[in-house]
Amino acid sequence: MLTRLAGGHVIDPTNGRDAIGDVFIRDDRVVEAPPGGVVDESYDVSNKIVMAGAIDIHSHIAGSNETMGRLILPEQRTLLDGFHPGHFPRPAGSWNTFETGCTYAAMGFTTVVEPAVLPHQALQAHLELADIPIIDKATLTVLGNDDFLLNLLHRREGSGAIRDYVAWTLSTCRGLGIKVINAGGAAAFKDNLRAFSLDDEVPEYGVSSRTIVKALQRAVQELRLPHPLHVHCNNLGLAGNVETALATIEAAENLPLHLAHLQFYGYGKEGSRGFSSAGARLAEAVNAAKSVTIDVGQVMFGQTVTISCDVLRQFNARNRAHPKKWMICDGDSNGAGIVPYDYKATDFFNAVQWAVGLELFLLINDPWRVFFTTDHPNGAPFTAYPDILALLMDRDLRAEWMSRLPKEALEVTTLSSIAREYSLVDIAIMTRAAPAKLLGLKDRGHLGVGALADIAVYSPGNDKATMFREAALVFKNGQLVVRDGSVRHAPFGRTLRADPDYESGIRVRMRDYYQERYALSPEFMTVADATIGRPDPFEIVPCLN
Amino acid sequence: MTEAWIRGKSAPLDDAIIEAANIIGNGRQPVIAGLGTDVAGARAAIKLARVIGGVIDHMHSGALLRDLDVVREAGMMVTTPTEAHVRADFLLLVGPGLIEAWPALPERLFAKRRSVWLCPDAAAVSASTYENVAIVGDNPADLPTIVASLRARCAGRPVGNAPVALATIDAIVADLRRARFGVAVWSAARLDGLTIEMLSGLVNDLNASTRFSGLPLASADNGSAVQQVAGWTTGYPLRTGFGRGVPEHDPWRFEASRLVDSGEADCAVWISAYGAQPPTWTRNLPLIALTGNPNILKAHVTIAVGRPGLDHDAVEHLAATGTLAAVSARHPESRASVASVLGKIITKLPAARPC
Repeated sequence: MLTRLAGGHVIDPTNGRDAIGDVFIRDDRVVEAPPGGVVDESYDVSNKIVMAGAIDIHSHIAGSNETMGRLILPEQRTLLDGFHPGHFPRPAGSWNTFETGCTYAAMGFTTVVEPAVLPHQALQAHLELADIPIIDKATLTVLGNDDFLLNLLHRREGSGAIRDYVAWTLSTCRGLGIKVINAGGAAAFKDNLRAFSLDDEVPEYGVSSRTIVKALQRAVQELRLPHPLHVHCNNLGLAGNVETALATIEAAENLPLHLAHLQFYGYGKEGSRGFSSAGARLAEAVNAAKSVTIDVGQVMFGQTVTISCDVLRQFNARNRAHPKKWMICDGDSNGAGIVPYDYKATDFFNAVQWAVGLELFLLINDPWRVFFTTDHPNGAPFTAYPDILALLMDRDLRAEWMSRLPKEALEVTTLSSIAREYSLVDIAIMTRAAPAKLLGLKDRGHLGVGALADIAVYSPGNDKATMFREAALVFKNGQLVVRDGSVRHAPFGRTLRADPDYESGIRVRMRDYYQERYALSPEFMTVADATIGRPDPFEIVPCLN
Repeated sequence: MTEAWIRGKSAPLDDAIIEAANIIGNGRQPVIAGLGTDVAGARAAIKLARVIGGVIDHMHSGALLRDLDVVREAGMMVTTPTEAHVRADFLLLVGPGLIEAWPALPERLFAKRRSVWLCPDAAAVSASTYENVAIVGDNPADLPTIVASLRARCAGRPVGNAPVALATIDAIVADLRRARFGVAVWSAARLDGLTIEMLSGLVNDLNASTRFSGLPLASADNGSAVQQVAGWTTGYPLRTGFGRGVPEHDPWRFEASRLVDSGEADCAVWISAYGAQPPTWTRNLPLIALTGNPNILKAHVTIAVGRPGLDHDAVEHLAATGTLAAVSARHPESRASVASVLGKIITKLPAARPC
């Protein structure tokens, strides 16, 4: 079937398109205009904006930690729409897999990456992803606090062994890329260290955090994985931690490195409270480091729950839980912490955090290197995205928000001096074109011929948040799934994974290692197609040439 | 070959499925309980509940919620069975039911480290049963006071009337503090909520100076996995109802036995694929049983289902790893799975149902 989206304002930065025109869909692909112009079906999208489906590179949507968050917050029944009661054209939802897919789709998102899957828990994460409808998914596999890698580094084994181990783990766990979370910090916490920085060593192994990050960065590069190493730095959330972020940016050494939710590392120690924004300084460093990409992890005000494999940070934060309940897990490698938190507009620290995120968005010049996230649900649930997009596009709206925040908080930031407003092209780069490039997804994030027909159509208006909250039309694989912000059809998508090569000897080595360390076979961590319970559940993303 | 019975008489599986679909499809408040099944069975049961506006509850929800309540009322530090296996240098074993909950516990955790076991099952465990395991207390009724005494002494407070000698309490406190990575092991199946909360508080307190974690043992009948499935598919733990079109969680309102015995429920599906657990309710009502042992209960429709991981491939919670994992069948295709039977029932539900 041939479908035409007629007369919309097509914004497709990958192909340099920013003009009124048509987009044609045949089956699941974008195609050339047919000769003679005869189509089976046509949608009049004049006065509307047409973009590729949005891609979220970092959102905690699946896995045992997320589900623990669900289980311990039953009163948070409307976490997803708690920020905007009544905005969603559906019954009061709950924070489950089905609502997650529908809510993302209603906003025009068609691909979302779950960024923190521990190898031993990969199967559950994939089972949960399989129950999220409409969108396609991917996972990042977490390494860097695991005994096997730390031992390889301790024994100074060559990069070949590390590469094979990384590739074997990624293949076994069906991940798209590799993430490192407070490298060595969780392992050090098991040895009773309570703080851990880039050049601190994990006691048992005598290996520094920097060594771990560099080894994984190299392995990812040598394996030609499409996504660079995804780094959650040390010292998340602490005053003065900008120094850690700056040191990590420098440690990239002009090679690709992605720093996650950088907002949580944008803090100085200035001011009477010893807590200030270092957003401008950090943005300047990112502008200069061309090989580095970042996502923001914007904070918005309201109740949420922080879910992180940075067990050391979550342990230290547990007494600030709101409501007062939490779960901390010393895991096999990274572990986890689930700590509910209420960001308050009246709170000095939270207001500074909010401003730091916006400073990063607005002061990093290149929209191809700054990515749009709240680190869902850590800075805010992903349902806050439309409001953040509106803030980026409208400085008057920012001024209005700032007028309600503590003045002394804004005084330790530069936000009120920033005039920049994002254009729709900037938004399309940041949420479509750039994420596809960063993840190696050649047929996504754009509307060129041959692209997957994941398309979002928005009705522009004065209220930009509403425009982005309720897409006029969304197509997934060429099928209409959303109309006027309501889900019409909820098919199940697939999970994207990498499939790097490795020397087969690593299999025997891992079998022996698991037997010796755990007296178990590593089979339990295998994720197989047949186990997922849906047909053809995975799509392979090729490694770089 | 899957066996089925309608009112005690052997029947073809298809007839049993139609009969079952009619009973629950026409019920006003169906309950889907037991839920002793694998991940696919749990997914199917929750789907059925969603379609018919039913309630889901697991036969071990009580124990699951006792642990969960401590997390959601206070906070809890835990570790994995694998990390305990690798790292623990001291175990505080708490109360009865540990071997019952995890038969491999001694083999997986007792070697290579010292343990103190508070009030074990006197019949099963004596001072000489396990090397490296010292036993303190012989009456499970003393457990709350012993745990409270440990926590008080750890906090440097005086203790009176402890059921065991103060010197013994203080010796354990010294062990707890000396541990570099201690692990407290318990089974919620046999502890009350306040004891778990006190123990969890003790573990948290110990982390002021050393490292200590908890290891709550998994529920029987794959309850830990079913709770996870409920969590991700509904957003809530078990004891969740779909009667008003959206999932709602309430540990009292949606307790299956209470719903049946109070007369609120008018029909039920009982799922026990791991063996022979019968329901705990006492009232008779139209019942559909999917069970591993058809002889133990009287139901309107009984369907003999396979044991997950034995008769069919399954995803289950593994006690040794504390994770979900795929388990391959040893005798494939001898009996139908819960998921396949429920899937067929869903397709045979009557079109018009009471609202």
